[in-house]
Amino acid sequence: MSDFLLEFVEITQTIGDGLFFGTTYALIGIGFSLIFGAMRKLNMTYAAAALAGAYVGLAAFTFINAPAPVVFLISALASGLIGGAVYITCFRFIPINNHLAALMASIGALFFIDEIVVHTTDGSPLTFPALFDDVMFEMGPYGVRGDLLFVLAVNIVSTIGLLYVLYRTRLGLATRAVSQQDVAAQLCGIDVHRTNAITFVLAGLLGGIAGSMTASAVGVLSPLITVPLTVKGLIVSVIGGLGSIPGAIAAGLLVGGLENGFLYFRGVNERDMYVLLLLFVFLIFRPDGLFGSAIDRD
Amino acid sequence: MSYYLGLAQLIGIHTLLGLSAYVLMLTGQLSLGQAGFFAIGAYSAGILTVIFEVPILPALLAGAVIAAFFAFIVGFPALRVKGLMLVVATIAFGEFVRLFFFNLSWRVPRGDIVVGPDSTNGFREIRYFVANGWSPWEITAFVWTFVILVMAALWWMDRSRAGAVLRAVGEDELATQSVGVNLTAVKVTAMTAGGFIAGIGGALYAHTATYVDHLTFTVLLATFAVSYPILGGLSSVFGTLVAVVFIQGVLVEGLRFMGDWRNIVFGLLIIMAMNLKPSGLFDARTAQILKRAVGLGAQEKSDA
Repeated sequence: MSDFLLEFVEITQTIGDGLFFGTTYALIGIGFSLIFGAMRKLNMTYAAAALAGAYVGLAAFTFINAPAPVVFLISALASGLIGGAVYITCFRFIPINNHLAALMASIGALFFIDEIVVHTTDGSPLTFPALFDDVMFEMGPYGVRGDLLFVLAVNIVSTIGLLYVLYRTRLGLATRAVSQQDVAAQLCGIDVHRTNAITFVLAGLLGGIAGSMTASAVGVLSPLITVPLTVKGLIVSVIGGLGSIPGAIAAGLLVGGLENGFLYFRGVNERDMYVLLLLFVFLIFRPDGLFGSAIDRD
Repeated sequence: MSYYLGLAQLIGIHTLLGLSAYVLMLTGQLSLGQAGFFAIGAYSAGILTVIFEVPILPALLAGAVIAAFFAFIVGFPALRVKGLMLVVATIAFGEFVRLFFFNLSWRVPRGDIVVGPDSTNGFREIRYFVANGWSPWEITAFVWTFVILVMAALWWMDRSRAGAVLRAVGEDELATQSVGVNLTAVKVTAMTAGGFIAGIGGALYAHTATYVDHLTFTVLLATFAVSYPILGGLSSVFGTLVAVVFIQGVLVEGLRFMGDWRNIVFGLLIIMAMNLKPSGLFDARTAQILKRAVGLGAQEKSDA
């Protein structure tokens, strides 16, 4: 094979791996978008809660030696619970039109959760279990890691599951009603606070899956990734268009693929700078994101 | 004694950081990028005094102007979007600046040592004060000169037409626009002024600490910056000062016995404050009550 072809294979392989990872960003972006869609508010705690859930799963792995699928399940449930707690402490009792107060409260909760994680783990990275990490699929010159394929499958299934809940159940109908017109939804007998709380728990479940999948794809769980994951989740939801779920999926894949492309060409230290620049490119040329509508912007 | 002087310098510098967020918050915008402007001021002024051997005063002003310039540049795309999107944009900007200094390496031989920013190892030997024999008292006085100047300027501005315009934009953008105020111009000006003030704070920080690295300028620092005016309320500049004294003096120093756990208290404090008083702990009403209780004018109420 010529040098050019070898390099081409290497680049496409890197970007392809990035797309696998991008599905995790998509999940985090969907979580931000779900809550933004429901309340027109940003929940800054979201990625921290996702990782905290993964830590609870990890505790089950360390202390009772739970198998990997149970660890993933516990992570999701714990993150869902944390999501509910965040709703009660940071959103439930703050005036509905005071967006910045809720935002600040959730930033406070972000550092609260982060500090607890840092203190209980001494801030050092811990090994996280993975499934099928000894399997490798070969397709011509390309290879696919088994654990990444599993991550991809789980992420796709949970996205489909979420879409099913949102569009095929009464609960999803209530959630969408509240997000479109909360006053009208209330007049129809929908309990807005209860629906919002369920949205937070639902988003939390999704976050717990994303958190444990990120950890198992990387192999370690570290408190150092809280802020970068928060920033990337925010970028994904803004690029996709705040409040748009298809947008978050597309933007998650875009960011994941480009990130690995930047990694290949510019190295690990500069990678994140270009992802951040991408956000500014969108803010200047397309502030509504890929799929967003201009009304949702404020 | 030097411990208390160091604390006084820290409180002064954090007051500048808080005031930089205060200016922008008057227009109703929240920026989580103030740590980025602070970092630009710190690194620019540090590079000027260390590598180019410029005296402190021009270096400090240059650092502030450079930070203001970047605030101006960021202001345009960021303020096309507002509210929550601005928060995302400014967080991204702050992280971008942090990563830029994480990668910046500019080493110059000076005598028998090499000085300048050294990417991950940080920027050491910003020793202008030590090299020129400044005493801790003189450094503290120098820091507080700038704090008082900035506070006086903002206090005066609040009583002029400019302050009224800023607050009007913060209260109701549509109404303000309809009486002929250019919203973008007002917001970008506030952003630039905030960048300038944060730049002064950063320049002072770099020279009092003699060492900075990218881990100094995280989202946590940006959160501190906005939490001062939020806790102190927007009724006057003294609210921010009171909040800084409370958080840095009472909370961070007073809870030293808790060790590293005290950072958790900061998170809890913000959650509680936002639930109990979403418009700030020392909002206009509290200020009125305090004023009446003390029975003095507007200036003295900060002592209450």
